[in-house]
Amino acid sequence: MVNPTMPTDPVEPPYAGHGTLGLIAAEIWDHLWPWSRRGFAGQRALQAAGLALAAGATLMWVLAALGRLEAGAIIGWWFGWSVFEVVVRLGSKPYVKEGPWWGRRYRRATLMDMLCYVGFKNLLIGAALFIALKSTGLLVL
Amino acid sequence: MKTTIPAFLRNLLGAVSLALLVPTALADAYNARLPDEINTAPDLCSYAPCSEVLPGATEFSERKGRPFYVEGYAQRDGRRELVGYVMLSTDITDIPAYSGKPVVTLIGMGPQGHFAGVKILKHSEPILLLGIPESAMVKFNEQYLGKFVGANIEVGRTRPGEDVIGLDAISGATVTVIAQNQVMMASGGAVARQVGILEPVVREPARLKETGAALDWGALVKEGSVKRLTVRPEQVGLPRDGGAPFIDLWFGYLNQPDVGRTLLGETAWRNLMTQLREDEHALFVLRSGGRESFKGSGFVRGGLYDRVQVRQGSDTFTFRDLDYRNLYGLAAAGAPAYDESAIFIIRPEHQSASFSAAYPWKFVFLGNRVDRATGQRSFANFDTEFWIPAHYLEGGRPAIKKPTPVWLRVWQTRALEIGLFAVLLVAVAAVYAQRDRLTRASTHKNKWPVNAFKYTAWVISIGYVGFHLMAQPSITQVLTWFHALLFQWTWELFLTDPFIFLFWIFIIVTVFLWGRGLFCGWLCPFGSLSELLYKVGGAIGLKRYQFKLPQALHDRLKWIKYAVFFGLLAVSVFSMTLAEMLAEVEPFKTTFLVGLFNRSWPYTLFAASLLGLSIFIERPFCKYLCPLGAALAMPTTFRWFGLKRKQECDSCKACAKGCGSLAIDKDGRIDPRECMLCLDCMVLYTDDHACPPLAQERKRRTKAGLPLTPIGADGYYIPIKPVPAAKPAAA
Repeated sequence: MVNPTMPTDPVEPPYAGHGTLGLIAAEIWDHLWPWSRRGFAGQRALQAAGLALAAGATLMWVLAALGRLEAGAIIGWWFGWSVFEVVVRLGSKPYVKEGPWWGRRYRRATLMDMLCYVGFKNLLIGAALFIALKSTGLLVL
Repeated sequence: MKTTIPAFLRNLLGAVSLALLVPTALADAYNARLPDEINTAPDLCSYAPCSEVLPGATEFSERKGRPFYVEGYAQRDGRRELVGYVMLSTDITDIPAYSGKPVVTLIGMGPQGHFAGVKILKHSEPILLLGIPESAMVKFNEQYLGKFVGANIEVGRTRPGEDVIGLDAISGATVTVIAQNQVMMASGGAVARQVGILEPVVREPARLKETGAALDWGALVKEGSVKRLTVRPEQVGLPRDGGAPFIDLWFGYLNQPDVGRTLLGETAWRNLMTQLREDEHALFVLRSGGRESFKGSGFVRGGLYDRVQVRQGSDTFTFRDLDYRNLYGLAAAGAPAYDESAIFIIRPEHQSASFSAAYPWKFVFLGNRVDRATGQRSFANFDTEFWIPAHYLEGGRPAIKKPTPVWLRVWQTRALEIGLFAVLLVAVAAVYAQRDRLTRASTHKNKWPVNAFKYTAWVISIGYVGFHLMAQPSITQVLTWFHALLFQWTWELFLTDPFIFLFWIFIIVTVFLWGRGLFCGWLCPFGSLSELLYKVGGAIGLKRYQFKLPQALHDRLKWIKYAVFFGLLAVSVFSMTLAEMLAEVEPFKTTFLVGLFNRSWPYTLFAASLLGLSIFIERPFCKYLCPLGAALAMPTTFRWFGLKRKQECDSCKACAKGCGSLAIDKDGRIDPRECMLCLDCMVLYTDDHACPPLAQERKRRTKAGLPLTPIGADGYYIPIKPVPAAKPAAA
């Protein structure tokens, strides 16, 4: 039976039953770490490539912090990584939150849901890193 | 319900597509390529149309003064007579306009200080490229003609009591004209002061105090007696050079005894002071990094140092060879290594201005910036402010009344309109927050408790927000923010348009609370106009021609708007100008900012076609094309409070049938990204004559003679729970 109160079927991530602090910690980890053990077993090659790409993206931010990368290159890398993260997450953590961010309702993510989630999350992370690098004078555009 | 597209609409769509492909004429001065010499050549008027801005002048001098201007002459009765002055705005100021780049303007001024002509040589304003014709800017500039440069000229209404002469703004280009006014007044004022038309500003001389403190370089830097000015290669459009600066300068004011002695040593400082008159001032400059010389080579040719100057208020102080002294060494312990140095003397009486060390001043490095996109060079000023520490002045620093920032003046002058607009936004949010009460008061057949508020919001949004305030949010603002976030975030730029600023605060807050529907469905001027046309069309007998696209086709077409949004975002990374042009897919500018009948026909046809189509299809632009809607739909995925559903909605199609947004799927689920929050489904949710499960329960209870209890938050009758009868009290 379909649950019409959510745009997609409800899902319970492994940490759904954790206490408040445990849930917050698990969600922070979820935002930053797109891989999962289950997903890794299912898409081994893809996940491995994802790890390599993540290393590349991290290196890119380090280079940016050292002032050795142009803004266009940073945006390109970040965009590329975001596309890949969508694919990885759809295999490893295919859910998004439904309703208030402080709530405990999760649902299965469609491709569009995941695009929205990764796009929005990475925009915020990217903006925060950009501002941090610029305010410390490490990045001049 | 009809589900096919009538033939005439198909033809109309075809015409719109064709019209969009028609190229439009570009504005003349938009990113015009000016000769490089215009910025540097002594004979400015060989490269710029000086005679156009100074009617009657037949001969022009070479560039002179600081900042530069040229004199225009006419031959009268065999004699050469001064007709006025011509100045290039970028020789004087680099105040940026909305695009972040200055509008390069050639200005003519009569011998008595009245503006004689204005010509825009180059601009990068997107709104003047596509939205507003350049002739509007020409008309704006014509308002200056004949006005005195020393008058108090402002964009806005004339206020005779305050001696303010108002200029009519250009609707939709407020930021551009405010910047242009600053350019005109700063340029005219600077030249007028130089040539003696305007009296120089008189500043009370500083009364310097000697403290006898022993200082070193670090202490001087810490207290602000020595300042640094660093220019990086990126700031002048050059590639990064391994972190090395383009130029790294230190400077400070030497007349103050403690500072002067610490930096130069007792003897050298005393020698220097004996060479200065009472109103002369010395400052040191040294270069500790970079390969660019701050002395340049200009002084060899013209006796003028053309890379550094000092500015105080609107007065500029430049240095000639006679104002230069060698700086042989620094006595201050801890001073950095340097490879170029100088002592410059500020001589105010040579420059018809007064300088006072008691007031703040700026040390300016004049560079050339290379535009990475076009390769063109333009002047760029880099400066650092200096204000002598208070403990070196008798009585401390004087009080300074800083001029009100432009954005603040805009907020002050439009306070009432801003207040009304803010009330509208808060009221709509408050009404929507009470949606449960409103929908319960409504029925399937009478939705006025909801619609009265919604229709009022539409009408105000179209008339007041759209046509009067021209506060139509647009995807270009999202792109501008995206770029500002990456490159240069200036709050002033966004604060200058208070309505758009407040609107975006509303949009951001409500998208996360309830989704994009509150803005798109209740307050977007174009969306409101579009749906109002649909409602009016239905009311005047066109209902039989109104139709919805088949759900399957709608489910495919709805992705177009996301493609448009991502396309614009991608293009903007490479060319903001092109993205601005392509953003014409939004008919907002044509409808509200410029007017349907003030634009070239392809734009008018496009906007009119969309509005015409809206009579027959509910919000076609919002559903399938709007890039702003797509941008807002994405975070809507994570709105906090969605609409309510019952389990029976999975098989019941009652709400889906009436959903104008086609946002309810076959399983009864609402797609929050497509939902316009019209609340029709919420009216049904508690209507026990229209919601099938509720109606069924109502009939059952009525038949069984059971009472109809109130409907709970879950959309069902509150269950009847028999209360056990109270036991009789024990005897």
